[in-house]
Formats: sequence, structure tokens, C-alpha cells
Amino acid sequence: MLSTYALDSQVLQKGLCTNCGACQGLCPYWDSHRGRTLCYYDCERADGRCQRFCPRMPTDLGALARKAFPGETILPELGPFRALYLARAADASLRAGAQHGGVVTALTELALREGLIDGALLTRAQGTLEPSGVVVTEAAEARSCSGSSFQIPPSLAALNRALREDRLHSLGVVGTPCKTLAVYKMRCDPLPENDNHAGNIKLVIGLFCGWGMDWDGMEALTGRYAASGAAHVDILPSKYHSLEFALGDGAGTVVPVDLDEVLPLVRPACRACADMTAEFADLSVGGARSADGWETDKHWNQIIVRSRTGEELLELARSRGVLEFRDPPDTALDKLKQASLGKKRTAVRTLRALCGGLGYLAPSAGALPDCD
Amino acid sequence: MEWTMTLDAPGKVCLMQGNEAVVRGAVEAGINFAASYPGSPSSQILGMLGKIARERGFYAQWATNEVCALEACIGTSLANARSICIVKQNGLLCTADALHCGAQHGVKGGLVIVTSDDPSAHSSTNEFDSRFMAMSADLPMLEPTTMQEAKDMVPYAFELSEKYRQMVLLRLTTRVCHGRSNVTLGPLPEAPHPLKAVGEWDRLVCVSYRHTPMLETLDSLQEAFEECPYNRYAGPEAPKKLIVAGGTGRLYAEEALHRLDAGGEVGLLSLASLWPLPEKLIARYLRGAEEVLILEEVDPFLERNLQAIAGKHGFSIRFAGRGDGALPRVGELTPELVLAAVAGLAGKTPPARKRGAEEPLLERELNFCAGCPHRATFHLLRRVLRREKNPGIVVGDIGCYIMSSQEAGHYAYQACNCMGSGINLAEGLGQLTAYGLDQKVVTMCGDSTFYHSILPGLVNARYHDSNMLLMVLDNSATAMTGFQPHPGTGVTAMGDNVAPMEIRPICEAMGCKVAEADPFDVDATEALMARLLQEPGLKVLILRQPCATLKSKQGRAKVRVRVDQDKCFGDGCGCDKFCSRVWGCPGNSWDFTKNKAVIDPVSCVGCGVCAKLCPAGAIVVEGGDEA
Repeated sequence: MLSTYALDSQVLQKGLCTNCGACQGLCPYWDSHRGRTLCYYDCERADGRCQRFCPRMPTDLGALARKAFPGETILPELGPFRALYLARAADASLRAGAQHGGVVTALTELALREGLIDGALLTRAQGTLEPSGVVVTEAAEARSCSGSSFQIPPSLAALNRALREDRLHSLGVVGTPCKTLAVYKMRCDPLPENDNHAGNIKLVIGLFCGWGMDWDGMEALTGRYAASGAAHVDILPSKYHSLEFALGDGAGTVVPVDLDEVLPLVRPACRACADMTAEFADLSVGGARSADGWETDKHWNQIIVRSRTGEELLELARSRGVLEFRDPPDTALDKLKQASLGKKRTAVRTLRALCGGLGYLAPSAGALPDCD
Repeated sequence: MEWTMTLDAPGKVCLMQGNEAVVRGAVEAGINFAASYPGSPSSQILGMLGKIARERGFYAQWATNEVCALEACIGTSLANARSICIVKQNGLLCTADALHCGAQHGVKGGLVIVTSDDPSAHSSTNEFDSRFMAMSADLPMLEPTTMQEAKDMVPYAFELSEKYRQMVLLRLTTRVCHGRSNVTLGPLPEAPHPLKAVGEWDRLVCVSYRHTPMLETLDSLQEAFEECPYNRYAGPEAPKKLIVAGGTGRLYAEEALHRLDAGGEVGLLSLASLWPLPEKLIARYLRGAEEVLILEEVDPFLERNLQAIAGKHGFSIRFAGRGDGALPRVGELTPELVLAAVAGLAGKTPPARKRGAEEPLLERELNFCAGCPHRATFHLLRRVLRREKNPGIVVGDIGCYIMSSQEAGHYAYQACNCMGSGINLAEGLGQLTAYGLDQKVVTMCGDSTFYHSILPGLVNARYHDSNMLLMVLDNSATAMTGFQPHPGTGVTAMGDNVAPMEIRPICEAMGCKVAEADPFDVDATEALMARLLQEPGLKVLILRQPCATLKSKQGRAKVRVRVDQDKCFGDGCGCDKFCSRVWGCPGNSWDFTKNKAVIDPVSCVGCGVCAKLCPAGAIVVEGGDEA
């Protein structure tokens, strides 16, 4: 099957594309516009990086995880797991511009400063809109990418372009679960004739993700509730049933939006995603959940350490005083597992409806926890 | 070769192309005025007339369109001028209103309309048989078979036109236009036809009471055509088997009868006066005939009319031709087709065909020339429209860019009607965008088409503010028909330099939102195209880059374009032969020995666009400026 046709028929036409950008920045054929992946012309190759990297092309996720992580660390609900922490950036000024505890920004700055990486693929948005992938090489640039956007930019296109240039030889990648999965596919299942310089990727920080939003839908929602722009957008714990725009107006104004108005605008492909915690990563970072309640938690992150590399970075952050830690509640891991399983169940239901089976997860059936 | 057209040597035999013979005929007729809009296969006629007009004391014009051309000719006829108007079949259709009105009011000075039909539509969008226009407008029509007749029938047509005060149509077909044979020159007049002052009671007015006189004129012409010297018959006195041929059919028939040695039993009636048909002459040969084969180009015009004549006279004849399957219903006649049909009529076995090379010709789609700016335009248009949530609607028009309907333009458009129609089709669709049609509407025209027939549509679209984009592909040339001047070029058919009419100020004067770009400046043009598509209402984007062939004619220094094969991705992931397979310029070729791209230095004109698009940055432009 032609590469472009394979992706089009198995991913785009099925409504599974998350617009991660893994197929882009590689050739003159694939591109993206306002959240939509598109193909300008057919490629006549039978195999290509686009289809190999795509996180929604059928993959045996269990086998992929075992290639990248020690088998004994892999939990069925959460993927590779070494430890769980609650933490936040020690620098209050960093936290002020970041989402939650600013851990991702702090760790990226640290890795750049310490020379662990010489560039990082991040996402930069205008407020919370029009995000795009950027490769930064300075800590200060990393901070300008702090924040959140629920539009999903094809940032891996920027990664692919940077890898092709082969100018930076230890790159960090920050991304949602679909993107970090694509990065591990790049690393572990390269096209034999073209390794995409994936060996230059040295650090992967995953972001917890429930879902992203339809590009136009998010724009319309922002227009309705934060017409002059928002600094942050966040989904509150489930009991609040709301999304929140922080206007960043200096007065701390926050505009809540009932989730019932938001859910129809969720990108349909995200309902078919089985990964909430970015299981393919050195570290995965999300919003904290604890008994202290949202007003406290919203300034903290929880961090899953998945690899030795992740562990070392976190230890470095601790020793440099870049992060502050507190103990996670005893129930934290179980709650995380339940939340992760919830997303997996939704994915399985969605895939059965869209594809009449497990779809791209079919080769992973053995590795999936019981989702029924 | 121009000397044959003005050579004062009566009786001299010259080798002439059919189009050239018509020019000579016009010169021998002492014409005062000639006007045309280019259209294959008769484009050369006015080009040649323009070159000799001053020397021979007449005026020649590449008109903005065929209607302008014919109506100008009608105007000059009022001053007793002999005028010739040259059009192709589609052009004749453009003139339909003027033609029908003109037929009703008639002419004073002779007016001959040369109409060239393009059987098989070699260089047309469609076949059309212009004989039906003669029938519909009640106008006389002649059709030559040889180059000699093509020359001789022009003065003959002028004489008829003046005698019967009616326009005369002269129908040519591609083989007559482009074929060459010996022509014996006639005498040249000492001076052009004398003009006469337009008298107070000279009248060329189309009014309904002129209908009856017009039909009476046609009756008189029918009588005259019974004696038309160009109708001829050869064969037995009362043939049982008869061929009736018009135009090139006669030559094919003569060849077939000769090869089959069937001239003794099969009659051949060749008709040059096609409308009105000489009924008595035809009936004389139909009477007693049992089987009649009709040989004619395009439609079964003679076949149907002869059937009517046979029916009127009560003849019982089996007719064969395009209408009954003896010959194909579409496409040009060929000697082989005619041989088979004549053999069927004569009850003989056709001789085996001598075969040429057995190697089949490679099938190739039409493509834009190397370095053609349209290739870049349609590449950018595709990219821009692919980014739309809903696929855009693209409406084509008539010009080189019609090839965008094929692979050359990535199958760009969904609709294409006649010349000048694109703006109007798009105008309608653009209005529907306010009624639930959620698609961007784009149409295009060339610079020559813009003047030819876009202007009224643009007025309509602007006045009603249709939500659409018109791209004017201004390549500074009427490229497809051979670089004839148009109002934007600043030259005339007679070689005079005049003030060109720029497209942009015309559009702006109408109140259109106008932008301009160079399709070779790919990034900027793509961004502009994308931005314009998002703007509401009517937008005009002028894409300016001269035709590549025009540039090579001007002999501009070529830059050298080459592929750095060490950098080239070839058919690897990340390219897959983008330059040769997708971009598709004839200059971008493939090195099968190395599996890498290569530039064909013969085809490449050095536009350098492929270097801008190469995903590997492997195409290098060296020396001088890019085109």
C-alpha cells in the first residue's frame, strides 16, 4: 500500500489523526493547517517514515515498551513506572507563568543549562491559541513556551526538521502522549534506509493528557469566554465539571466554562487514545491531585519517573534545588491507575465504534489491561 | 515564404499551405479589411495578412474577440470594403448573434468569413461542424478541397457576396489549413477594392421584414450553385453506387477508388457549395443510385440533407456515412477509414495496409512546457486549496492552462465550459456561498482570454460582489495559438507599437480588489493566494510571469540548472522523485543508472522553480539570474 494512502485510509479517514506532526516535516507531501493533517500529493513508496512514526498506525505497544524499558517496570495501567512524585518549580516567577507547578519548564531549563540536551522541542502558543512546535536552545526561550493550549499543534514536524538538519545532537522532546509515542516509534522502529537521526533524541518528557480540542472549536470557545485572550486554560478535577480560562489580566480573573459546553468540541480522535499519562517517556508530568484540594493542587505537578534517564534528571533537579517536592498521598497511584484505565476504556469503546475492533491497538491486545 | 502571397506572377506555380492560399486569395480579391481572433487551425491567416497589409494597402487586425472581428467587418462593408473575417469553429459560435443578424441585413461590400473546423479536436476542446451555422443563419457556404481551391474560392466568395449582397462562409478543415500543395497564382489587383462613401440611404439594419428577402437571396444562391464551377462529378453517367464527398473527403475518395480500381462503377460527386445545396445537381445523381456513401468531416450534415432530398424525390436509396456507422461518428476522416468504407460500397476487399514501424508510440499526456509559469500556479493552488477544510471548487477556462485538468495541473478543476465562461460559472457558485455552500470558489483566465470574454463577466461578478477568486494568469502572450498580439502586448497585427492596456488598472477601475504576484516567487505567492481565499467578496489575483516559450524566443541567456546527486534523495523516503514525478516539468528527468534526479539540459529553460521546491535542496542554479 502506498505510504500516503496507508495513512489516509487507516488514520485520517478513520478519524484517528491527532495532528501530532510525526508524518510531517519529512517530505513535500504531508503538512498540517489549523489542526488538520493534510496530504498535498500521493507518495508512491510502499514504506516510509510517515506511516512508521504515526502513533495511530497499528503498533504492538507492549513490544515497543519492552524494547525501550525493562519489562519488570511496566505496569499494565500506567506503562513503565519507577516512582511517583508531587513537585513544583522552586522559582516562583517561573511558576507564575507556567501551568500547575511549572515542573516541565523547570526541568527543560535545567537540562539545557546543564548541557544534558542542546535543544528542546516545545510548544509555543499565542496566549492559549495558535500553538506551534519550536526547537529552543536557550533556557530563557524554554520559559517563553510555558503555559497551556488545548489546540494540538503538529510540533513533531518541527522535531523532524531539526533532526534532518542534524545540527543538535541531544534533543529533548516535550509532548502529549500521542507525540511521545511517535518519538519512541522513531527510536525503536526506524525505516531501515533512513534512521531520521532519531538517536539525537536524548530526553522525552510526556504530558498527561485527557484530550485535546478541535482547533476551530477552541478558537470559538476562547472568543466567547476570553475574547481578549487567555494566559492559561485548564481542566479542573472531575467534581468541578469545568474548564477554566485564566485571563492573565493581573487581577487573577478566572472564567469557568461548563464542561458540557466543552466536550462536544473535543477532538474526536482523542477519544480513541488509550494513553493518559504519556507512557512512552523518561518522565511524565501532569496536574497534581491530592486531599488538599484544587486550590493547593493547581500549583503542583505529579511526576511519573519511567526511565533511568528520567530518574537522573529528577535527582539533578532535587540536588540543584530547582524543584520542591512533597509526598504524594498514599492513594495517588491507585487514583492515577483508575483515571488511566478510564481513558483506555473510552479508547476501546471508540475504536470498536470507528473500526469495528481494536483498530490501531489490535497488535497490543495482549498488553492492554482489561478495558471492558 | 511571404513572397508567394504578394508575388506578382500570374500563372506561376507555388507550393502553398492552405492557410497561405487563403491569404493569397484575399490579396487577389483586393481586400480592404481583415480581422480575426486566433484559433487553430487557421491562426496563421491573419498573422500573414498583418505582415503584408501595408504593402497591399489594406488594414489587418487581431481583434479582441471574434464578435469584434466580425462586426468590424460588417461595419466596413457599409463603405463597400471587401472584408475577411477568420475564425475557428468555436469562434464562429461566438459570433452567432452577429452572424444571424448580419444574414438578415446582408452586406454591401463583399464579406467572407473563413471558418476552420478542427475534426478530432486536435487543438480544440470540442468538435463542431460550422456547416450548421450556415444552415441556421441561411448563409451561403463553400468548402475547398485543395490548396488551389482554397485560394480560388476566396475571390469567388467575394464575387458571390457582392452579387447577392450577403456574407459568404468559407469552411476549412485542419488538413486543408495545414496541408501543402501546388497553387497556380492569379493576377494581383492594381489597387484594393474601391471604397465608397456611405450614402444616407445605405442600410445594413436587422429588422424582421428582411427575413423574406433573405430567404429569396438564399433561393437565388441555390440556383447559382447548380452551376458552381467547384462542384464536380466523375464516374458512370447513372451510377448505382455513388460517393458524395465534401472537403477533404473528395481526395480520400479519389485515392480509395484508385486503389480499389473502382472508378468505373462507382460515381463520385464532389460538392464545394455546401449551403444551400444544389438540389437539382444532387438529385440528378441520386436518381437511379441504390447505395450512396457520404464522406464529410465532423457531422452527417450532407448525409441528413441528401436523405431529405432523396425523400422529397421519392428515391429509395441506402445511405452510408457517419450517421449510419459506416464511418465513425466522431473524429477526423483518414485514408484508411475511407478506403474501408469505399471498399464496402464497391463490394471489394481493401488492399492490406502497409505498416510502418511496429514499435508503438509512447502514450503521453499533454503537459505544460518546461518552465511554464502555469505549472507553478497550479502547484500553489493545489497546496492552498488542500489546506481548506472543505475542498475548493476550481473552474477552468480556455487557454494553455486548460491542461491543468490533467496530471500537468494535478487535475485542478471541476468545470470548464467555453472561452470566457469561467468567471461566470464561478460567479454563480460564489453567490451560493451565502446560501450554505461552504467551499472556496476559484477560477482563472489567461491575459488574452481576459480581454476576449472575461470583461463582461467580471463586471457582473464585481457588481454582484460574488464571493470568488479570479486568477489572471498573465504570461504576456496568446501562447496556445502562437503568440499573437492582444491588447495587453502593445503591438498590433500590422506590427505597430501602441499603448498596451494593463489588466490591473482595468480591474481596479471596475472596483475590484486586485493583487499581483509572480508564480515563481512560490512562498510569497502561496501566502498571498491563501490570504485572498479567506477574504470575502470578489478578488482578482494577477499572476505575472512571461510564457517560457516566449522567453526562449526572445533568446534570453539561460542559467544552468543541475542536480547535486550526492544530495538528491532520489526515490528515498522524503522525496520519492518529487521533481520528476510530481512537479513534472519536462526539464526534470530521472537518471535510471544512479536512481537520482537529473536535469535535461535540452528541455530546461532555467526557471529555477524546481530548485526552490526540491526537498533535499539538491537542485542548483548556476550562472545568471533565474527566469
